[in-house]
Formats: sequence, structure tokens, C-alpha cells
Amino acid sequence: MTNSKKNRIKDRIFEYFGIASTFFGLVILVIFIGNILVDGLSRIDWDFMTSLPSRKAERAGIFTAWSGSLWILALTTLIAFPLGVSAGMYLEEYGKKTSLSSLLEVNISNLAGVPSIIYGLLGLEIFVRVFKMGNSILAGAFTLSLLVLPIIIVATRESIRAVPPSIRAASYGLGATKWQTIWHQVLPSSMGGILTGVILAISRAVGETAPLIVVGALAYVPFAPSSPMDEFTVMPIQIFNWVSRPQHGFTINAAAAIIILLIITFVMNGIAVYLRNKWEKKISW
Amino acid sequence: MTTKPSHILEIKSLDVFYGDMHALKNIDMQIERNKVTAFIGPSGCGKSTFLRVFNRMNDYIQSYRMEGEVFMENQNIYGKSILVDELRKNIGMVFQKPNPFPKSIYENVVYGLKIQGIKDKKFLMERAEKSLKQSALWDEVKDDLNKSALALSGGQQQRLCIARALAVQPSVLLMDEPTSALDPISTAKVEELIHELKEKYSIVIVTHNMQQASRISDNTAFFYMGDLIEFGKTEEIFRNPKQERTQNYITGRFG
Amino acid sequence: MTQIEQEINELRKELLNMFLAVNNQLLKSEKALLEFDKDLAAEITNAEKRINSLELKIDRDCENILALFSPVAVDLRFVLSVYKITHELERIADIADGIANYVNNLNTPFPKQAIKEIQIKEMFAQTQAMMDNVIEAFEKEDTKIARRVFKQDELLNSINSNASTVIISNYEESSAESLFYLLSCVRKLERAGDLTKNIAEELIFSIESKVLKHRKNRK
Repeated sequence: MTNSKKNRIKDRIFEYFGIASTFFGLVILVIFIGNILVDGLSRIDWDFMTSLPSRKAERAGIFTAWSGSLWILALTTLIAFPLGVSAGMYLEEYGKKTSLSSLLEVNISNLAGVPSIIYGLLGLEIFVRVFKMGNSILAGAFTLSLLVLPIIIVATRESIRAVPPSIRAASYGLGATKWQTIWHQVLPSSMGGILTGVILAISRAVGETAPLIVVGALAYVPFAPSSPMDEFTVMPIQIFNWVSRPQHGFTINAAAAIIILLIITFVMNGIAVYLRNKWEKKISW
Repeated sequence: MTTKPSHILEIKSLDVFYGDMHALKNIDMQIERNKVTAFIGPSGCGKSTFLRVFNRMNDYIQSYRMEGEVFMENQNIYGKSILVDELRKNIGMVFQKPNPFPKSIYENVVYGLKIQGIKDKKFLMERAEKSLKQSALWDEVKDDLNKSALALSGGQQQRLCIARALAVQPSVLLMDEPTSALDPISTAKVEELIHELKEKYSIVIVTHNMQQASRISDNTAFFYMGDLIEFGKTEEIFRNPKQERTQNYITGRFG
Repeated sequence: MTQIEQEINELRKELLNMFLAVNNQLLKSEKALLEFDKDLAAEITNAEKRINSLELKIDRDCENILALFSPVAVDLRFVLSVYKITHELERIADIADGIANYVNNLNTPFPKQAIKEIQIKEMFAQTQAMMDNVIEAFEKEDTKIARRVFKQDELLNSINSNASTVIISNYEESSAESLFYLLSCVRKLERAGDLTKNIAEELIFSIESKVLKHRKNRK
């Protein structure tokens, strides 16, 4: 067999392997989603969305859960976004490039991989006990902010790094100060990347369960939160709670809640992709 | 009343170091007002570094260190009281690869003015038109100044960068191989531009292309490995250079 | 070696060839005249074609170098001087050809007495010496050697100014035609001397970049 024939065969094998892997993943996903949909789609109605949890499966709703998730989402964004972007900007633009700063950079990336329950324990000690926030949404939001901060910082730094030095040089060459260059050129250009990173970070936060449990999110909260200091629960915890109940009705509830959670996740990722595309069209290096 | 010095820029005993590397050695030079001065020499000879000394763009390089004096209109531009951003409003720069901002054509041209705090729309528009006309781009873009600068061709982008630099009305224009990324027709347009601009501006241009230097410059400086080998009127450098190394370079005996 | 260096070297060789070819013509024309050798004269006329085509080739090569390589400084001066020297050499070759034509046209040889008195042999020798000098100056790029021809030319001038007197004193009806031709040869050789001086000036320009033309006092 000639070499080129061997190469063509290898090409084909690789092609088929790739298609098979893709299909495999898709098929698993389709089975999973299909299963969930079959189980839970019928359960979703207005009542389900607006009812409080209850010991009776038919009356239980996810109102407290998704309003809790929303509160957590909003507060975490409010805390983590400015902190993360400013920190990333400072480190990238103003930080001196010493061996200490590269050490710092590596460690920030490492933080993103720390198991989330560790953050939960940290949050429990610092926010719940020392800062006396109690088992509140605020404590939960701060804890999750710590969790997603490294992701935002890294996304910010990467986006800022992607701005070509030629643009900065042009700005300085015209007599702009460092801050003017950052504000008028660097930030607008990197905003797409930063936002994508922020949204992905937040959508991860939406799915977090362990740290919130540690911080004190309860499994059974019969009221919707109305202030940051209130006790709360979130979607994943509610799902977890329902899945552990023996009654079949709760399994269906759990499936329905999973569908809602998936929708939220897909929507957030969709926004991230949309924003990224919109920004990339505006700015092409 | 003080009279204007005959040379707009003067360099005395300049030494530049990047860490331990001695990039420029004991340079003395005067840049003539309203003339085009070209810097030629093989790659790595220090001519771009030297260009950036004038607008202090080397300051951003960590290992950069310089000794000696650089005067503009008799003021030492490395003096303690000098504000670098003010200096750069008077000494503009055009770079090798066109680098327009990812904004509209209009926004690009007026950026230098906006960061000075100028907000008057009428003023900005007039200045934008003037600069675009000076850089021979006005006719090609006047119908849609809001178009993205990145949609322009390479040659147009470079002329936009020139307009952007001219909008702040500097007295000196520094150009670092401005046509090396352009096709021959765009190059010819930019060269014609330079020829017209020297009436109002003093231009210093770094170029790899010796024919370009001989075509457009009044004075030429030949650098080699950090030394200024020869500096004089362009006709003399290209007809009858005094230094053998200069002759060897311009006749292509070594790259 | 860079491309332009190769081209310059080629051009140098070609010009040297032309120098030698023209020099040869001059030598032959001397022999043809003094020995009244019609065969040699025919040879000279034949070789003239080759000289002309050499001139054309060198012209074309100079143009090519200018168009393709944009030479500057020493290279530019060299090409410009080659261009001019070529034309000067062609005119010297014409002179040799003219002398050969006279030999061809005459039926009887030149009067011996006139030849002796008019000192045409000395003229040939001096012209030869001047040519040798410029050829050596060209090969060695030595302007000192080139400068010798200016003084050497003085002899040609003085022989030339005496020539009419000699012709008149030797005048005989029977040999009138050959006497007039002889006078014409003297004029031609004086012209050849001038052309050789021009060549020397071009060489000095090329090597030293000093323009010597149109200056009254020369070294």
C-alpha cells in the first residue's frame, strides 16, 4: 500500500471517529433531555412556577427556589462583576511584570479549580459567622462571588491582553494618558470578552449547590425572600431535596425543575454567545 | 523675543541601553525644520529606537535607559518638568503597520482632540475635514465618515492614521517605515503626501527602502550597529558618500 | 557577490574588450599607412563593424543596469562614465577606419619625405602611448596614470599646428591627393588625442568624482 493511500485511510478513520464521538455525546444528551422532558414537561404550569414548596407533591412549586436563584444571581453579579473587572484591569495594566506577579497570575487561575465546597466552608466562617450575616442571601452571594471572582479576573485579563499593543501605542502616540487609553480603547475593545466571561461565571454560580448548602441555604423554605438578609433556597438545592424524597410525585417535580434550570442555563449561555458575536463583528483585528 | 533655533530637534551625546545592550552610541544630530530627514541602515541598527527617543515611546520598555540630551525648540524633552502626554501632542507618530482604532473614521481622526477635552462638534468636524484633506483621504471617505475604519484598505488605513496624527497639529511628524506594509500605489500616494506635508511639518522617517529615502528626503542619516556613520544632504549621501560603509550599504554590497 | 557587482564586473570586462579592440585598430592603421598595406586597410574596415556592435551592446548593458538596479554613488558614476567612454572609443575607431579608407583610395603611397617631415610616425607613437595610459588607468583604477595624457597631448597639438606648413613646402601637383590625405590624417590623430583626454577625464570623474571638463587649467 502506498503512503498516500495509507494517509487517506487514516484521514477517513479520523473523520469517522470524530463523527462517532460527536454523535455519541449528542445521543447521550438527547436521551437525557428526552427523559427529563417526558417526565417533567407536563408538570410545568403557572401554579408550579408560583407555588411555595409543600409536603404534598402536587401542591409543591418552585417559586421560592427560582426567586432565590434570581436573588443570588443578581447579588453575586453586583458584587463580583465590578470587583473582578477592576482587579483584572489593575493586574494587567498597572501591575509590574515581576516574578511575583506571574506567581500571582498562576495562583488566581488555580483558585478557579478549587472545589466549590471549600468556598462554602470559607464563606461559612467569614461571612456567616465573623461578619454575622447569618444564613442569608447576602452571605450566599458573597460566597459565590469568591467562587467566580477568579473566573472573571482571568477572563478580564485575557480580554485585555487580546487588545493589540499597536492600539495602545497609537493612543499614547497621540498624547493620551494611561487611564484615557484604558477607558477609551482597551475597555471598549475587551468588553465583549469580559462580558462573556462574566456571564459564564454567573451561569456557573446559578448551578452551584454545595457551597450554598454549607452557608446555610435551607432545603425547605416556605416563603419567598424579600431582602438580602432573608433565608433562602436555590433551584439546585430544591431539586436535590425533591430527588431524595420517596414519593413519585416529587420525582416529577424534580424533573420539571431541572427543565427550568436547564432553560435558565441555556438562555444565559445564549446571551454570552450573542454578545460575543456582536462584539467580534464590531472589532476585528 | 527669542528667535527660533535653526533646528527643531537637537540631540547631544545620546546613548541608549536596553539592559546591558548598548543600542545607540554617542549620537549627535540636528533635525532641520520643515525638511524630511530619513534614517536608513540595516535591521537592528537602532534607527527605530532612535526615532522613538523623540516622542519618548521607549519609556514603556522596562530595560530602557538613556543618557544624553534631546532638545526640542531648545527645551530638554527629558527634563523633569516635561509632561510626556503634552510632548506627544506636539510630536506625532505614524507606525509601520496601520493601526486605526476599531471605531468609525471620524472617531479615529478626532480622538487626539477629544482626549484634550475639546468637545465643540463644529470645531472637531472642521479639523477632521482639514486633516483628511491633508492626508489625501477626504474624497474617498467624505460620504460616510461613520463607516468603520477597519473596512478601509491598507493604504487608506495608513492615510487615516496620518490624518489622525495631523489632526492634533504637531510640529514634528515621526514615521516608522510608514509604507513597508503597503502596495506600490498606496506607497506612491503616501510619498507624495510626505512631500506636500513638509511645508508645514518637520518630518523624520525611518525606512528600509533606500530608493524611498533618496526620493523623498532632504537629509539622510545612515546608522550601523548603533553608530551614526554618516549624516548629510541626501544628494551627497547617494552620489558621493564620505564613508566607505555608507557606500557599501547604499550600493547593496551588504544588506 | 551581489547581482549588481556581477553586472558591474561584466561591464568592466566589456569595456576593456572595446579598449583593446580600438587600440588594435589604431596600431593597424599606423602600419597600413606607413607600409601602404591595402590588405591591412581592408582588415581594419572589416573590424569596424564589430566595434560598432560592441558599442551598441555596452550601451544596452548600461541602460539595463540603470533600469534594473538603480545604482547609486560609485556604481552610478561608473556606469555613466562607461557610457560616455564607449562613445569616445567608437570615434577613435572611426578615425582608424578613416585612415584605412585613405589607404584604400590611393593608388600611390604617401610621399616619404612628407611623411618624415610631418612627423606622423611620432604622432602615432604618442597617441599609442596615451591609449596605453588610459587602458592601464582603467584596469588599475589609477587616476595618476590617467592624468599623464594631458601633458602628452601637447606634442600632438604642436605637430598638428606645424602640419600645414610641411604640406605646403612639400607640395607637388602629382602627389596632391595623398598630401591632402596625409594632412587629414594628422588632423584625425590630433582629434584622437583629444578623445583620449576625454576618456581620461571620465575615468577620473568615475574614480574620484571630480568634474574636470571645461576647465582651462589642467594638471
